Amino acid sequence: MSIFTQNRSVRIFIGILVLFTLGVTVMSEAYGTGAISVSFTKVLGMTLCLCLAALAMDLVWGYCGILSLGHFAFFGLGGYGIGMWLMTARTEAVVRANLAGGVIPPTEAEVSQATALQIFSVVGAEDWPWMWAASDSLFLSLVLIVAVPGLLALVFGWLAFRSRVTGVYLSILTQAMTLALSLYLFQNDTGLRGNNGLSGLQNIPGAEAIGQDRISIWFFWASAVALGLAYVAAAWLISSKFGNIIRGIRDDEQRVRFLGYRVESYKLFVFTLTGILCGIAGALYYPQAGIINPDEIAPIASIYLAVWVAIGGRGRLYGAVIGAAVVSLLSTYFTGGRAPDIALGAFRIEWVDWWPVLLGLGFVLVTLFAPKGLGGLVDYVVRKDRA
Amino acid sequence: MHLLRRIAMSLAISVFLMAPAHAQDASLQDILQTHAEEIADPSRRTVGETLDALVATGHPDLPEFLTRWQSREAWQRDADGLFVYIEDEDADPLVLLDISTGETVGEAGSREVTQLRPNGGVRRVIGGALVQFQLGAEDPAARLDALEAIGNDPDESHLPLIEARLEVEEDPAIHARLDVLLPALLIAFAEDDADRVAAIQTLDGNVSLDARATLNRVLATRRFVGAELPADTNVAAILSPGTGPLPRDEAYAMLVSAELAPARISREDQRAVLAANVVEGRVGGVPVATLNTEAARDTAYAALVAEGLAEPIPTEADVDAALAAHVFFDAYSEPSSIVTEAARATLDNIETRVGAYRFFDLSLDGISLASIYFLAAIGLAITFGVMGVINMAHGEFIMIGAYTGYVVQTLIADYTLSIAVALPLAFLVTFALGVLMERSVIRWLYHRPLETLLATFGISIALQQIVRQIFGTQARPFTPPDWLAGSVTINDVISISSIRIAIFLLGVIFFIALWLILNRTRLGLEVRAVTQNPAMAASMGINPDRINMLTFGLGSGIAGIAGVAIGLFAQVVPDMGSNYIVQSFMTVVVGGVGNVFGTLVGASMIGGLQKSIEWFNPTNTLAAQTYMILFVILFIQFRPRGIIALRGRAAGD
Repeated sequence: MSIFTQNRSVRIFIGILVLFTLGVTVMSEAYGTGAISVSFTKVLGMTLCLCLAALAMDLVWGYCGILSLGHFAFFGLGGYGIGMWLMTARTEAVVRANLAGGVIPPTEAEVSQATALQIFSVVGAEDWPWMWAASDSLFLSLVLIVAVPGLLALVFGWLAFRSRVTGVYLSILTQAMTLALSLYLFQNDTGLRGNNGLSGLQNIPGAEAIGQDRISIWFFWASAVALGLAYVAAAWLISSKFGNIIRGIRDDEQRVRFLGYRVESYKLFVFTLTGILCGIAGALYYPQAGIINPDEIAPIASIYLAVWVAIGGRGRLYGAVIGAAVVSLLSTYFTGGRAPDIALGAFRIEWVDWWPVLLGLGFVLVTLFAPKGLGGLVDYVVRKDRA
Repeated sequence: MHLLRRIAMSLAISVFLMAPAHAQDASLQDILQTHAEEIADPSRRTVGETLDALVATGHPDLPEFLTRWQSREAWQRDADGLFVYIEDEDADPLVLLDISTGETVGEAGSREVTQLRPNGGVRRVIGGALVQFQLGAEDPAARLDALEAIGNDPDESHLPLIEARLEVEEDPAIHARLDVLLPALLIAFAEDDADRVAAIQTLDGNVSLDARATLNRVLATRRFVGAELPADTNVAAILSPGTGPLPRDEAYAMLVSAELAPARISREDQRAVLAANVVEGRVGGVPVATLNTEAARDTAYAALVAEGLAEPIPTEADVDAALAAHVFFDAYSEPSSIVTEAARATLDNIETRVGAYRFFDLSLDGISLASIYFLAAIGLAITFGVMGVINMAHGEFIMIGAYTGYVVQTLIADYTLSIAVALPLAFLVTFALGVLMERSVIRWLYHRPLETLLATFGISIALQQIVRQIFGTQARPFTPPDWLAGSVTINDVISISSIRIAIFLLGVIFFIALWLILNRTRLGLEVRAVTQNPAMAASMGINPDRINMLTFGLGSGIAGIAGVAIGLFAQVVPDMGSNYIVQSFMTVVVGGVGNVFGTLVGASMIGGLQKSIEWFNPTNTLAAQTYMILFVILFIQFRPRGIIALRGRAAGD
């Protein structure tokens, strides 16, 4: 665990994360004073998942120089992966309860058929699509949450890096990938319930007796643990020789290639690894959100991910986390309708309406005047107290 | 002799010509009174002559009377034999109406008038006369209606009328309809099969929906099952159960419903039978709690069958044997095989031709979609393709162009004029916005292309939200003028809307104009110089700042014009731009950056491809888009620099 002694930011970050988690727990409804409502606990837990996705984005963009505009597709795939299991298990329990009232006990085939009907009648189907084959097993679903985004990232990355698609072309290509995926999911007959998406994901099968207050804090803990582990792993990775090489690729790909490194393999590894991280983040996010639909994977979501990293300051791990946390929490605050409106005589500034304008102009200002993002402020403070 | 005949003929003609003129002067009542007896008490044999005489007068009120007479809504006053209509049959006294003017002519008790009650035969003859009347109507729409009515309810008596009409009809649309209706009637009513086959063959090559429907009616089949093939049926196809159009279950269900085989019991029915026979917690000796497998249920059911409490279920072998013992076939409703064969051959011919037309129609669709993509992407071809700036707000320039069109239309009522104003105005508005954006944001980021992406994305969401604040989220109406609203229809298969033709033309104009600007003007030369090597261009006396500003403005302005065109057929909403942004970037990348020709090729490829994929599954455009994008992703692997790749120094790195 030399990473803790080498890298001060890891110690500080883990310290803050632990304090934050403890603080939320103490103020939660289930284990503390109840100052933080269940729904806000969920918002915080979801924010941690977004931070995890931003961390992955920072690795692939900030450290390896690949501006992917498709990483939210992996996030969504992770969500769909866990969502299929949650929905199947939950619906099956309900169906079993309904069928138990009959004179004759139901056969497994009948239960499965009735469950499928329950889930897919909304898109006019009644059979299990092939992609749900693993949905009755939690273990297989967890494997898929890692395997599906990983495999997609691997295949896509292999194709793209092999033919030396770089820079903005790669960005556009990844954007096309996420658009294709969301269009595919939007179709009713592709097996994932079209634009209805998967819903009721907050109900954990087998935990009906446990209230949402406790489940919400458990997911919060899980998200915090995942973020902490990923942060440590990422810090270890970038402080190793590997980290130097990928930074080299970012700064001058050609030169690293001439030094004899297989640039494509390094890029592919980072791309796939971050794809998997996003998948895991999504699998933790959507049980807290309760619903997932193809809109979540629309190209704009991935752009936002990049923007969070840019605002937080790319090329520094804590920057990504700060960016994601600050922007997504502020957005929740201002668009949630709880921010006070500002009255200017006859004209009234309503935050719900004007927040996107402010946000957009904020992106412009950060890009123009603070290329290092909010993380740059940290540099400023740190340097000051050393001096 | 000759002379005599001539005189007789000219006399006859003049009488014929003058008769209607006289009739116009005489009231319908007078004319009817000359045939009063026959009308009051018509007979099937003689009413024809009377009707001929009536029709020959050509009186305008006659159709109305014939219709009423036919449907038993005309009356005769007993006192003076006056023909009248009645306002309300249930009223007392009855109010009598004049048959020409509809004015009240008096009142009468129900015993003082007699209803005209022609029998079925007479009514059919009246109907024939009526059709003849309508077929000769002045108004083409009325004639078409009459043909429609005949088509829906054909009768043998219509045949000579249609034949006669075909000789004199001049309206091309009605003539086309007659060309199909005559064979349809011949097929239905001709006595001789050879005549019917000849009628079928006259339809060859006619791709209209009516012609195809007529032939399909001849080829209508019903599905039968029997122990053996009947000798006298016109069999279309013999089916083997379990293959192709006849699934095994469906075939067996046919046997069951024809009472040729015992019913199979579904799992659900089996369950119901079991549930009905629970005795002391057991069914057929099997405990209820263990009935949660199919095997256990089958055992219990078999026990019930043995006790005689349930119907035996045919085994799979029984089913196979029953299916094998019977023959399944589709038979034509039409008994004559010569006729059905002729119809099949003709229809196959027509379908081949329809296929060719469909392909042509699809190509038109593809071209039109390509023009839309081209139009949406052409601005990007300049800002991204030539300058290398990733402008995520490009879609918003399109959107602003469309809203400019909408605003102009609210100010100028004339649609044509408003579009003529909107096109240059949209260019000016977006040109100004583009220049403003370039001066304030983009010029600081020329060496950081990925950050341009983020900054312009910020601008894009801000612009979108501002427009949403001003105009609201609901779609704004931006209506094309009438001359753009219709469509050009070549036949029942090929048609294209005028607006798509206009967009295609606009695309062509843009392409030529831009190509000329970039390759044949001083500005184009300087643009190319600055994009290739700004420092060298600057040392040659070109002001790169000015050129960049103008180029970006030009690209944005073109996006604005494209927005006006797109707004005419798409919904004008604040986020309409985001529908085009990814496709536009793909178009430019696929075509190859740095030249307008590449964008044209890229748009053609993407549009054509999407339509060809739709060909396989026309209902699912989402799927077509998905596969099109996948194809583009794969395509880029093999040509990372696009179809038209720049070489040498122009390529930059």
